Amino acid sequence: MGNESLNNDRSRSSVAYGRAIAGLVLSLWCAMGYAQNIPRTPDGKPDLQGIWKAEASAIAALQTNAAAGDMNAVASVVQGNIPYQEWAVTQRQTNFANRLAEDPLNKCYLPGVPRIMALDYPYQIFQTEAHVAMTFQWTQVFRLIPLTEEPSLYEGVEAWMGRARGRWEGDTLVVELKDFNDRSWLDASGNFHSAALTVTERYSMIDEDTIRYEATINDPEVYSEPWTLSYELERQKDLVRLMEYQCQAEKEELSGDFERDERTWYPAPIPEENVAFDATAGRELPLPQPTGTIRRLPDGTPDISGYYMADAGGANYGLESADNRFLTPNSRGVIVDPEHGGLPYQDWARAERLDREKPHRGYDDPTAHCFVAGVPRSHYVPSPFFIIQAKDFVVVLHERMSWRQISLTRTEHLPDDIRLWQGDSIGRWEGDTLVVESSNFNGKAWLNESGDVISHMQKVRETFTPVDENTVIYRATISDPIPYTRPWTIEMPFNRSEDELLEVACLEDNNDLQHLKDVRDEWRAAQQAN
Amino acid sequence: MKHIVSLTALSLLMSAGSALAHHSFSAEYDENKPIQLTGKVTEMKWSNPHGWIYLDVEDENGQVTNWALETSAANGLIRRGWRKEDLPPGTVLKVEGWQARNGSPTGNIRSVTFEDGRRLFAGTSNQNVREDEK
Repeated sequence: MGNESLNNDRSRSSVAYGRAIAGLVLSLWCAMGYAQNIPRTPDGKPDLQGIWKAEASAIAALQTNAAAGDMNAVASVVQGNIPYQEWAVTQRQTNFANRLAEDPLNKCYLPGVPRIMALDYPYQIFQTEAHVAMTFQWTQVFRLIPLTEEPSLYEGVEAWMGRARGRWEGDTLVVELKDFNDRSWLDASGNFHSAALTVTERYSMIDEDTIRYEATINDPEVYSEPWTLSYELERQKDLVRLMEYQCQAEKEELSGDFERDERTWYPAPIPEENVAFDATAGRELPLPQPTGTIRRLPDGTPDISGYYMADAGGANYGLESADNRFLTPNSRGVIVDPEHGGLPYQDWARAERLDREKPHRGYDDPTAHCFVAGVPRSHYVPSPFFIIQAKDFVVVLHERMSWRQISLTRTEHLPDDIRLWQGDSIGRWEGDTLVVESSNFNGKAWLNESGDVISHMQKVRETFTPVDENTVIYRATISDPIPYTRPWTIEMPFNRSEDELLEVACLEDNNDLQHLKDVRDEWRAAQQAN
Repeated sequence: MKHIVSLTALSLLMSAGSALAHHSFSAEYDENKPIQLTGKVTEMKWSNPHGWIYLDVEDENGQVTNWALETSAANGLIRRGWRKEDLPPGTVLKVEGWQARNGSPTGNIRSVTFEDGRRLFAGTSNQNVREDEK
């Protein structure tokens, strides 16, 4: 008994000793910036991937406030006070007093960094060795952070979201941002900055479900010294996928400025006048064959990541061929099935398409309101896009601010009553072709400015086939029994080049919409008078 | 990329402010109202999907009107090497385009020429120009 006890004591003390050593190593490891018990990518970096949201206290205001009408009192996420220069204190007070009218976020403008990280909407982080990408539920904003010390091609060009460069310091992702404009606020209580702002963000994973987020704010025009805010990001475990919240679209639908289309929006029925949809019509198109070497990831999967611009032949102005347009480029026609290159419209939908070309309908195009372009239009709007191939996802970041995330692991689409501008996309590699099936669309998008019609019943089957180092042949087959009599297919090359995405702050400087509304309202008034 | 492209080279590449659209131009502008204006830049908005040049234009009675003139996307100009400082206030420009249907001093411009004859935009008819640069 005694010996046993002694042995146990000895073994306990050796375990304790061992633990102490391990603890010491752990502390040293942690002190060097390396964390334990966190997920890691194959290259050993902390794996930040997943869906996250800021802890609740970070959301409305950065500093402790008495509850003020629209705002709850919150715990401060700033160490000490924000060291405003004297003039700036006054400005901040004015901002606070006028916050409901003046807060750019209340106008659905881009939130800037770090504010976007603290909104009460989840976001998803994707990681590769070369990039960290973030897609936000809020208005489909994204951030693309190149992990490089190389300067940008566009140094000095101002943006709401700044210009980012990232690097790993031990287990901490450090992101440096500059080239901000002076139009965003830091929170809902009127904290502000100038265009001299620079931000250093630090992302440190504490455990697999928590990231410590820190942002050091420096702006010599507004503050007397740099200051830091910090809070935790919490993993959102219960979300199947990131959804969409389109701030401006929601607002305009509520106000009536963006009108419901009863024939195309969810849950419009198939019109009784329709001829039956022939789902089996259409010819079998053999997949494009490679004409050169294609790039591959280490595991052999085709590498289609990078910056692309579609050679879309004016698809944004019409999918069928057209020439002699006024103030609009011609369309070469991108329809490869049916062979005659025309869209297989139902009669009413062809009539609707022709009506949409009239000046008073220009206002109805969702992209004129700066809303998301939908699928497949997002690929030919025409603005460039950037493809990221991360764990379990192919993510497309569209410069004309929106994203698509294509899950490579999910097998079932969202429940039928969840409807999205960009739909729900599930993909798989078949040989060297990425095949993507999408559904759950809301039917609000137009296919182009001429108003080619699409509805919530659209199902899209896309193929992305790389044929050489810098070319992906893109096809999209649309099956939509509301406006069409049979499926049809478009095809166009996506050309890769060494360029960077810029920012498109569309809504923020949209001077056109009022003009288009004037044209519509004038037409309506004339109709009424008649 | 930055500022390395000469203005002469740019003039060959530039295309009009009329094409890269996020909305229907023909809906907003009137084919029957062509405009030709000469004036001084008061501001250039480097915005997307369209930029805007604001031009003070004096009529024969000496009355000055500030015109808002829509161009192609700022991002297209930036990708081709243009920066804010290249079009400072006071620059004299001659522009051609079409007026808005609502009759306001607003236009969509397809041709912008500097006093010395250099052109900022070359016209929509150039089919060789990349689509995002039109």
